[in-house]
Amino acid sequence: MISRRHFLAASAATGAFAAESAPPPKGKATACIFLWLGGGAAHIDTFDPKPRSRSKSQAGSYYDAIPTAIRGESICEHLPRLAPLMDRAVIVRSVTHSISNEHAAAANLVHTGRLPSGTLQYPSIGSIVSSQLGAKTEEVPAYVVMGYPNIMRDPGFLGAKHGYVYLTQTETGPTGLIRPPDVDLNREDRRETLLGKLREGYTASRPNDEFVKQQDDVTRQAFKLAGPKFLNVFDLQRESPELRRSYGGEFGQRCLLARRLVQSGVRFVEVSHNLNFLNGSGWDTHNEGQLNQHLLIQELDNALSSLITDLETHKLLDETLIVVATEFGRPPDFDSGGGRGHQSLAFSMLLAGGGLRTGRAVGRTNDLGSAVAERPVTIPDFHATIHCALGINPHKNLYAGTRPVPITDRGAPLTELFA
Amino acid sequence: MRALTLFVCLPLLASAQVRVEIFENLAKGEELRPAESLRTEQYMEPAFGFVRTPIKYSPAALPLDRSTPFTLKAKYERSLPAAKLRLRLRARGAAVLTMDGKEIARTKPQKPNTSGDDPVPPPPVIDETGHRPAPYPHQDVFAEISGDGASHRFELVALIGGKGLMPTPGELAVSWGREGEMERLLGPDHAPRLVDAEWEAFVARQEQTHIAADRARRLAASEATAAQWRARHDKVRAFYQARLVPVPQAPTGYPVSNDIDRFLAIPLAAAKTAPKGSLSDLEFLRRLSLDLTGLIPTQDEVTQFLAAPAATRRKQAVDKLLNSPAWADHWTAYWQDVLAENPGILKPDLNNTGPFRYWIHQSFLDGVPFDRFVTELIQMEGSNHLGGPAGFAQSTLNDAPMAAKADILAQAFLGTKLSCARCHDAPFHPYKQKDLFSMSAMLAGKPVTLPAASSVPIVEGARKPAVEITLKPGDTIHPDWPFATLIDHADSGALPAEGKLDSRRQLAAFFVAPENDRFARVVVNRVWKRYMGLGLVEPVDDWANAKPSHPELLSWLAREFVLSGYDMKHLARLIVNSHAYQRKPVEALTEQNASPSKRLFAGPLRRRLSAEQLVDSLHLAVGKNFQCEDLNLNPAGDRAPNQFLDMGRPTRAWQLTALSNERDRPALALPIAQSLIDVMSAYGWRQSRQNPASSRDDGASPMQTLILANGVLGTRIVRLSDDSAFTALALADVPLRRLISDTFFRVLSRPPSPEELRTMTALLEPVYASRKVAGADSKYVERRSDNRVSWSNHLSAEATVIRMKEERELRMGDQPTAKLTSAFRERFEDALWALVNSPEFVLMP
Repeated sequence: MISRRHFLAASAATGAFAAESAPPPKGKATACIFLWLGGGAAHIDTFDPKPRSRSKSQAGSYYDAIPTAIRGESICEHLPRLAPLMDRAVIVRSVTHSISNEHAAAANLVHTGRLPSGTLQYPSIGSIVSSQLGAKTEEVPAYVVMGYPNIMRDPGFLGAKHGYVYLTQTETGPTGLIRPPDVDLNREDRRETLLGKLREGYTASRPNDEFVKQQDDVTRQAFKLAGPKFLNVFDLQRESPELRRSYGGEFGQRCLLARRLVQSGVRFVEVSHNLNFLNGSGWDTHNEGQLNQHLLIQELDNALSSLITDLETHKLLDETLIVVATEFGRPPDFDSGGGRGHQSLAFSMLLAGGGLRTGRAVGRTNDLGSAVAERPVTIPDFHATIHCALGINPHKNLYAGTRPVPITDRGAPLTELFA
Repeated sequence: MRALTLFVCLPLLASAQVRVEIFENLAKGEELRPAESLRTEQYMEPAFGFVRTPIKYSPAALPLDRSTPFTLKAKYERSLPAAKLRLRLRARGAAVLTMDGKEIARTKPQKPNTSGDDPVPPPPVIDETGHRPAPYPHQDVFAEISGDGASHRFELVALIGGKGLMPTPGELAVSWGREGEMERLLGPDHAPRLVDAEWEAFVARQEQTHIAADRARRLAASEATAAQWRARHDKVRAFYQARLVPVPQAPTGYPVSNDIDRFLAIPLAAAKTAPKGSLSDLEFLRRLSLDLTGLIPTQDEVTQFLAAPAATRRKQAVDKLLNSPAWADHWTAYWQDVLAENPGILKPDLNNTGPFRYWIHQSFLDGVPFDRFVTELIQMEGSNHLGGPAGFAQSTLNDAPMAAKADILAQAFLGTKLSCARCHDAPFHPYKQKDLFSMSAMLAGKPVTLPAASSVPIVEGARKPAVEITLKPGDTIHPDWPFATLIDHADSGALPAEGKLDSRRQLAAFFVAPENDRFARVVVNRVWKRYMGLGLVEPVDDWANAKPSHPELLSWLAREFVLSGYDMKHLARLIVNSHAYQRKPVEALTEQNASPSKRLFAGPLRRRLSAEQLVDSLHLAVGKNFQCEDLNLNPAGDRAPNQFLDMGRPTRAWQLTALSNERDRPALALPIAQSLIDVMSAYGWRQSRQNPASSRDDGASPMQTLILANGVLGTRIVRLSDDSAFTALALADVPLRRLISDTFFRVLSRPPSPEELRTMTALLEPVYASRKVAGADSKYVERRSDNRVSWSNHLSAEATVIRMKEERELRMGDQPTAKLTSAFRERFEDALWALVNSPEFVLMP
């Protein structure tokens, strides 16, 4: 079995599987905060503004544009706090893929970098980063999700050990790590004492059983993970009220928590921004969802600009890559209800910090933003860029059993972003 | 037809039952006036409340779709008191109620709905009388009539399903009563009243009656098919009889319970390895029960077991547990993994299949012979959304679906892993890409073309790939059986399947023909691994480069299996009655990595409970139900089943499914289901089964401990609420010693050790005497999610608020009982917590 792997690894190294012959760039980021705009954020209403539409029948942006710290590049008027910080960011305006009809399929593609094959389940980018870098300390997990657990975030063939800890509301904390509300320290102590005796008795009567020992080891590790060091990270009260206010509502608080998690040693934090409160549909702005889309954009503006500034204050921006991703963009024309449909062939994503050469836009769409005009960036390319920024070789093979699976499907990183 | 005679004979006036008929393939415009000739079903119900209709079965007992829409007609005649009366017709879609042939009430047709932005309706108002309110989006239509003491004929005609709608009746009902008084369902005098508790009890009975009736109907419908399979098995037996596998003599001193032990004893003796000692009776019962039913034994089962004579109690327990319906539950979970059953409840796309779990379950429940099971799977017929094998054919977003299926089938039943051949010739196997695609063409019943994505791109200038590629994208591959070395023709015991001799049937014949002895060997090896923890051949799904550890035993088991008529229970009985199965476990990691000749089966491998065993056993131990939400994101029923599946309310863990909330919308969350899935995912259950898997990820991870210790499910399990069996135990007038002992039996299937008894006594004694709170009432209310939220309104802020509130409330756990003091309750809960979180609970004996 070992020899097979070696054989395949060797052949990969000599270029049999890798598309690129030059060694991939190696960035210095050590953690990633992945902001997920689920539903499909309209690029022309956010990071790729076009001439403004004056009526439902006229294609174009829904808002005016404002200049940014990147010379010659503007973004939506509802991103005023972010605009002056854009020199810390890269707008990738020419992301392209072919799944526009179904959210789950497109979201899965953007999370795993691949279409389902039926021969194995591909891991999410969070699980891949977790498998390659691990957590920075033993007392925290490598991968945390703020959002609902689902397939696209799963570890796939990498197995449950590269899964995530998740929470759906910042106030309740991560599932499984927080003591139930009615269990105080006294009860917890009592529980662990009772369990300790049972564990001891069981393990002692089965000496030399490696399987039993492993089970016992992870139990010990688990209680350490649920210890005060990690749980204190979730206590947002420890931050100043001004800072909490500047981040804004629940999404902002999630971003603040993401900073605290990264600080504590977590490698990959996914933060979902889709609570439907503000405009009904979240970023999936069909029909009336369009009317209050600006509230979502403003919420993103507060949270993202605060996150960039806050990381910078903590001197963490250079080592923390922020990714703003979405499953697809939206077309410049409007549906019968005044909203927008889906468009996957051309849309925007954002990268910030992470030690990249920021302050630029990559790629370009046509006049209306309906097609890529310059430098198409595929999802594997985008993933390869994230991996390179984190010092991970995107061509390296992972193993599904004995089968080698490159980290990205021949993704080519955006080399211009690396010094 | 027998049923018809039965009710024609019934005097209608005195009828205790409502006569129901189903009509299909209705002419447009005539749906509510169905012609008698279109009747496809007739049966009885106790009253005018209809939440499900009989499943339609093919002659092979496969579930079939009815036409959509179809019509339900219910007739009843009864006398009404001389008084002013009100009748209520409750329906989700179009229905007409007539009295003596005259229409008295009518509901509107339901319209398909593609919206997600509808408003959430206001909370239902319960009227002064306390009637159960109509669930969203049902309609209540009333008719005022004057009773006259005479008898009247009532007839309800209701349309079920239709384009863009769920083909289910919802809560179809007719009730009646005096003005201002509580109504009863139309039917005999004792029919249930229209209040929540009585309606729910009525519905639960209807579920059970229908499940039993459906089973009887499908067995009756498939009598001829079953007889044909029996005849085939006679032929196969004749073929196999001569293939004798001599049973060796066991060396003296090696324990032998049956022939299996004789085969195992020789290599054990040669390696001078002593077999492990026997499990104690109670350890054996726990292991056996988990292996045959997926559940720990109940305290009653333990008591009965111990009451039986020591010499025969183990055999008796084996026979009893093999007859448990839970046998089917436990096997369903296994084949869901192996066959990559992967239904999606919300707009299926990520390599989703239909929910053919229901057909797997029914096959094991009905004891369908395994060659028939495989044949039916390969033929992929029946209803997709009702869970027939047709659902196996589905494979959304997959550009070579039949290649995926060919790979699954070959791994499952031939030990031939073709996954690599999906994109190139297999580098370490004797298979070419063409092999997979020619089998795929047999499943498709026509030549197939190789899709571009199922290939390895040749990059200009780069080095040649290390894998061989003999097919090009766009190449056409013809149907052909690729494994001539296993079997080159399949003619013994021709398949008794229905229908034309198409290429799927031919393919099935190659799989299950007795000449192909790989089939039986692969299946018995899988069953062996399930009970012993490791296969005689490893990996069980990839035999190309594998050597059996005990080739003669493998052949012997395969022959036993075939001679029994491919009876899985016969096979299971042989294995669990062996001494080998009943031994103490061996260390798993060493054994798994040993070469075949070093695998001796001195005992079964140490195993952890599977995710399903764990979740089901936790609930059984504390006597609680899942109280899970319906796995249905469209309870309003206004979308078609190919977009939204209604997978019902799970009662066993295998019935759970991925919750498909890739949209991250709180309003689509199902918090209780999620809490079950959180535990199951940590323990190796896959919410998405995009590819087949013959074994689970059995690595230990901290999340396993944490989710059980602190998660929502763990909190609910140990909480002494009014539905916990431990609350009842604690309220009984028994000495503390007895409570502690019962607790250990329920959770760990054994009495406490003297030291454990001391520890628990020290914990509980100070608060035991004063544990009861006099006069406290039960606070038990079954958890119910707010059924006003459906896909059609899930984007509204209110839907989000409703579900997020449910999530927060669930986090608090079940309502603690008021009948026990919190001082006692908390201590006892902590004791329970320690027991269910102990390694002894999570690991098999």
